[in-house]
Amino acid sequence: MYSRFLRARCPAAIPRPRLSALIAVVLVAALYGPAQAAVITAAVPRTTDGKPDLQGIWQARGTAADDLQRHGASRGVKAGKSVVEGGAIPYQTWAAAKKRQNFANRKTADPLASCYFPGVPRIMYLGYPFHIFQTGEHVAIAFAWSSVFRLIYTDGKPPLHDGVESWMGNSRGHWEGDTLVVKVTDHNDKTWFDMAGDFHSDALSVTERYTMLDADSISYAAEMEDSKVFTKPWKIGVTLVRQKKATGLGEYECQAEKEEANGAFEPDPRTWFPKPVSEASRLVSQAAATFSTPEGNALPELKPGDKIRRMADGKPDLSGYYQANSGNANQGLERHDKEEFTPATRGIVVDPPDGLLPYRPWAREEQLSRAQPYRGYDDPTAHCFVAGVPRSMYTPSPYQILQPPGYVVFLFERMSWRVIPMDGRAHLPDKVRLWQGDSVGHWEGDTLVVDTTNLNGRTWLNEVGDVVSYAERVVERFTPVDAGKIVYRATVTDPIVYDRPWTIEVLVNKQAEELLEVACHEDNGDLQHLKDVRDEYRAEQKKEKSR
Amino acid sequence: MRTIRKMGMMLATCMLIDGTALAHHSFTAEFDQKKPVRLVGKVTEMKWSNPHSWIYIDVETNGKTVNWALETGAANALVRRGWKKGDLPTGTVLIVDGWQARNGSPTANVGTVTFSDGRKLFAGSSKEGELSK
Repeated sequence: MYSRFLRARCPAAIPRPRLSALIAVVLVAALYGPAQAAVITAAVPRTTDGKPDLQGIWQARGTAADDLQRHGASRGVKAGKSVVEGGAIPYQTWAAAKKRQNFANRKTADPLASCYFPGVPRIMYLGYPFHIFQTGEHVAIAFAWSSVFRLIYTDGKPPLHDGVESWMGNSRGHWEGDTLVVKVTDHNDKTWFDMAGDFHSDALSVTERYTMLDADSISYAAEMEDSKVFTKPWKIGVTLVRQKKATGLGEYECQAEKEEANGAFEPDPRTWFPKPVSEASRLVSQAAATFSTPEGNALPELKPGDKIRRMADGKPDLSGYYQANSGNANQGLERHDKEEFTPATRGIVVDPPDGLLPYRPWAREEQLSRAQPYRGYDDPTAHCFVAGVPRSMYTPSPYQILQPPGYVVFLFERMSWRVIPMDGRAHLPDKVRLWQGDSVGHWEGDTLVVDTTNLNGRTWLNEVGDVVSYAERVVERFTPVDAGKIVYRATVTDPIVYDRPWTIEVLVNKQAEELLEVACHEDNGDLQHLKDVRDEYRAEQKKEKSR
Repeated sequence: MRTIRKMGMMLATCMLIDGTALAHHSFTAEFDQKKPVRLVGKVTEMKWSNPHSWIYIDVETNGKTVNWALETGAANALVRRGWKKGDLPTGTVLIVDGWQARNGSPTANVGTVTFSDGRKLFAGSSKEGELSK
């Protein structure tokens, strides 16, 4: 399980902090006198607005993930030093007893055993890498662990939705000199601080402090206040270390890995990346022999509007909170009428011109089977797994676009992310397969073009089971047509499933909203119901066969 | 529980079910359009969760109490329409029209929820339009 994740991390050099920015800040410091110069203690990289540049891939050092306090080795826990200032967490008497109970039951009681979101601060020292991005309004952190992200607002505006409890809390940040200070509130009472059962209540408030020590290390401190559980506030300190060889995060999808391991999520030999891996290229080239790209029906070129927003470098500014107007594409990419609870769909296939997906016969048969009630259980999103590409872009859930230097980042409310490097890098090796694929972007005029490969073939395109396989390649085009509208086109090439490429198109609208959290499998009672329907069908089939 | 088939059919045909708007799974797969239900009961719990919130009500039939789980829209959709935790206190009497799960358990997808005075409560997954407070 973990090895797959490690394989996905590709060793190569990361972009180094920009020296020009560094020199610029030193110059500014020199011009504006000693008060400014005093804050520059080491050669830390800076963003164009002079703030320390925290961007890059990081991971916590040490054993805080196992136990924040000093601990000897025990089952599943490595020995380690305390990261708590003063050594011990100041529990109230009842809470100390509860913690001991948590420790005894940790194998099953740890929320992470159920793949629930780790919460803050636990996610920061969990032992998985994460990627920090900075813009003028946000600091975003994408984590390898289950595609979790944090969106920290640094724009000074009050939250749109206060008091909404969540697993990862509500993060609002500001700079105090060279330290990023983040106040995290609205925690639920279900997360732990570590594997040793250290816990809190819903009265928890966390204040984090990120201070760069040098170009490759961040001092991470967090102060916890919770009058229901502790006798006084307490602090931890951990060092975050830059992962110099990492160019991307890879994925560790906790719930998916768990369900694959215990058989709850069954493999599909026709669409999943084959084993042995060497089979893949043979099967793809065999399919490619009967795959054609028709000429002469190119879609009309889209013209960006006059009123589009632009970045300082003149590129379109796509940042914001968006929702696709997808015409129920999550219930069908092709146009169809309402049937039972499946609503009518507008149909978003713009090529082929007839609006029908150019299925190979076996794949159409498979799609029709997937649309039956007894197959509802097989839809990966019914299991709360990551939606994949392009489904993430039209599923009825909003997303945030960020444009930090060198990247375009998508944060999906259903708790997953896509990080698109804009540096023209090569795709990951073919054997690395990811739920969201490996995306590389570039600009063609004012259109953002994203090329995605390395998909794992485990996703469905919607609830009626439109099919893609590991041979899927997606080229997406985001064309801003005014300040708040983007035309989204995606061309899917998958010779295993289709006999020609096809393209969908939807309009994506910017809205004055903020992301909330969707913790999908915290309470996924639907899955058992769907399983019952499937199991009943299978039992009937078995009976019929034995007759 | 009383099953009013005719009424259910009427609801099914009259109501614009945009339902699966916030779904993460197939409604056709989980719920049975041939099993419309009308339930009258007292709220025992409102679970605010995503992608679906759940209302639990105790329904008395022939002296027996059955706790029904009623699937509604996502908590986030309710939050964005101004609903807050605690807006649906336990003990509130509700009339619920919906569709029972295919597995026959006391679970239903909510079409409409009506207070005893006739006011409509947010419905959820099936009738997003009624979410406004």
